[in-house]
Amino acid sequence: MKKPRRTGRWILFGAMVVVAIVMLYPFWVMIITSLKSESQFLSGGGFSWLSWSNLTSVIPVGQEVLSSTIVCSSSILIILCVGLPAGFAFSKLRFRMSTVVFLVIVSAMMVPLQAILMPEFVNVTRLHLTGGYLGAILVYASLGTPFSVFLFTTYFRGVPDELIEAGIVDGLGYFGALWRLVLPIAVPAIATVTVLQFIQIWDDLLVGLLFIQNTSERPITVGLAVLAAGRTTSIPELMAGSIISALPAMLVYLGFQRYLVKGLTMGIDR
Amino acid sequence: MSTTIPTTERPTFAPRVRRLTLKRRRQLSGVLFALPAIALVVCFIGIPIGQAVYYSFTQWNGLTSTWIGPSTWTQAFHNTNLWTALRNNGLLLLSVPFALALPLGIAVLLHQRVAGWRIFRSIYFLPTAISWVVLGLVAERFFAYQGTLNSIIHALGFSHVSTNMLGYESEALIALGITFVFTMIGTNTMLFLTGLATLDPSLEEAARIDGAGRWRIFRSITLPHLSRFIQLAFVMTVIALFSALFSLIFVMTGGGPGYATTTMEYLIYETGFNQGDFGTAALYGLILFVITGIVGVVQLRLIGSNE
Repeated sequence: MKKPRRTGRWILFGAMVVVAIVMLYPFWVMIITSLKSESQFLSGGGFSWLSWSNLTSVIPVGQEVLSSTIVCSSSILIILCVGLPAGFAFSKLRFRMSTVVFLVIVSAMMVPLQAILMPEFVNVTRLHLTGGYLGAILVYASLGTPFSVFLFTTYFRGVPDELIEAGIVDGLGYFGALWRLVLPIAVPAIATVTVLQFIQIWDDLLVGLLFIQNTSERPITVGLAVLAAGRTTSIPELMAGSIISALPAMLVYLGFQRYLVKGLTMGIDR
Repeated sequence: MSTTIPTTERPTFAPRVRRLTLKRRRQLSGVLFALPAIALVVCFIGIPIGQAVYYSFTQWNGLTSTWIGPSTWTQAFHNTNLWTALRNNGLLLLSVPFALALPLGIAVLLHQRVAGWRIFRSIYFLPTAISWVVLGLVAERFFAYQGTLNSIIHALGFSHVSTNMLGYESEALIALGITFVFTMIGTNTMLFLTGLATLDPSLEEAARIDGAGRWRIFRSITLPHLSRFIQLAFVMTVIALFSALFSLIFVMTGGGPGYATTTMEYLIYETGFNQGDFGTAALYGLILFVITGIVGVVQLRLIGSNE
């Protein structure tokens, strides 16, 4: 590729810096605002650790992060345990009508929760699952399953049939083949599903808001949103809480960036 | 197994029986392995769709439902809130070109591989990881009367101009649209960058040797190559517009002022949980289902077309 002229490169670099400033703006706002007290925030100047030292008394961040972690990890575990065998089945152990069933499951990917929100809410409430985390976990798991089935199926299609058949001939059985042959190959796909679902579930509001009734069991995103919508909590404390809530998802993103990209461009980048 | 059977008796039959049972065993395992996923999707997505259809014809408060019939639908379509929400969604569609053009520009910028482009890439995608609740909170501060937007306007010398976009019915939706564009930048840039990476550099090189200018190369080579990625980004952006704005609206405006920023998905929440009218909310859900269904069919065709 021909190198653009020097001034051209500086203009490009300048444009990239401008975009970077815009994209970093939310983080700058969160950090700067969290380092002010309420009165300093209103008057504009000053610096204080007050909102950080007060944080746990205003927002139960510890409990909320714990809730988020429980809900996230349980949902992802179900999504993987359900999606991986199904993907194996739809790609290698095809049964009568399996293609139709696969297509139906994949099209469920297009159903937004809001479209079925009312019946879903009433069903889960009637089953008495909104008291703890279970209701939210099951809703998240079922919403994430279609995508994971789609991803695992397309992934396993690339695995040669002979490998599985060799395992069966060796007497592994289908469950053994799944556990000993398929699972080790599937690690990149597992990582993709995990990273995407982690960010999705950790950042979600609607399910946590409606399907977890006890305020003491709220995930952090829900806790923040409710306080923000209430308009009574001080902004610096909300921003401090936002930083806490953003950190895990950011770390996961920075650590597993390539899996995220792979998942988002799934189906088109092959 | 076949070797243990005396070959003198039924030499051809034994292997055939074995193959049949093997096939059946494989199918049976397939059904067994797929069953948990099927059950989960049927119970939590399939059945509720059916219920939504039923309840859309009833008066329903979540506990008891009474059958009303198709008149619920005619009633709903006479409700101005529904039309306001649909109009708001329609107006927000105007932000989609920006949500595509800006990431396209950024992706092309990154693709020039200027020094440090990897770091810039990570920075550009960073907001994608954080919740739209948090981004909505920040946006609320940006547009607020004492927020960043007014500081910028004042710094530019227009000290007598002050905005409060989220406070006015005519402007709140614009502010929401701008925030939406910002939240989509990371994902769409990621998509376009992946598309650019699959572009054969020798094509551009050949065009350059033939004397084509930068703009010409972009229009005649880069853009056509990206068309599938642009289509996919378009569909994903529209789906997000109809089903992912809840967090932003909840934090930024609560659907207001009035119903100025109430979109379909927020109207469903509002009707169901604030007004307690579960039947109408279920009906609105079906309308949303149909809209996203149409967009979804387009997406499936896009994804499926290269298999």
